Amino acid sequence: MTDELRVAVDRRGPDGAVLYTKGYINNVGGEEIANRAYEMMDAGVRTLLLNLRETKIVNSIGISILIEIIEKMIDKGGRIAFCCLTPVILKTFQIMGLANYASIFADEESAVSELGLK
Amino acid sequence: MTATAERQMELTLPMVPDIEIAAARAAGNLARELGMASESVDEMTHAMIEACINAREHSGSKDRRIYVRITGTSLAEGNSRIDIWITDHGQGFNVTEARSRRQNLGAVHKRGWGLQIIEAHMDEVGITTGAEGTTIHMVKYGKKS
Repeated sequence: MTDELRVAVDRRGPDGAVLYTKGYINNVGGEEIANRAYEMMDAGVRTLLLNLRETKIVNSIGISILIEIIEKMIDKGGRIAFCCLTPVILKTFQIMGLANYASIFADEESAVSELGLK
Repeated sequence: MTATAERQMELTLPMVPDIEIAAARAAGNLARELGMASESVDEMTHAMIEACINAREHSGSKDRRIYVRITGTSLAEGNSRIDIWITDHGQGFNVTEARSRRQNLGAVHKRGWGLQIIEAHMDEVGITTGAEGTTIHMVKYGKKS
């Protein structure tokens, strides 16, 4: 029944990375993303792109954890962006204000170009 | 409304982690049977997930059950209507206070967004709440996909 979240990371240069998610971003999934994101921050990553192409369902608890990740990255002087959101996930991000503090791109190509992650 | 509900479903779900996915999938399947467009189905299922999470996390229900009723109705010109009732037997909540919550980065309260998400994704939302429990009645209208 569950749609357990899987996370994969692709480092891009000394201070960049793309994090790919697959599955439901709930409290457990959000914590998994946070753990990986904090590992990368500790390793010097300051530009992090989250590609949600294979995530179709999120909930408010999972998004609240994403917001905590954004806050920590801002505290470190870095930035977080998202790409490949479904329309309903984009709308939910906008409702919760996440879109005010992180850039959102339609696709990975435009995101990596804008963020200088190539 | 002259149309009668042609699809009905009732579920009694235990309050366990991720049970909201079972409820959302049931409603999504019913909506797709009626030909509702996928974006409308997605909005409806996300609202339903939040309603079930609210019941599970905040109701204080002693029987630890979520009661779900879903009806689907075909309307004119290929349109459809889904009605969903999510009921718990918990302690109720203050609707005005729940609606007034807002979030800012750095705020202490990052949670409590369920009701705002429900109201943004659904076309109609009605809440009956009190010491005997809470029922959220949500309506989604859909055009044929």
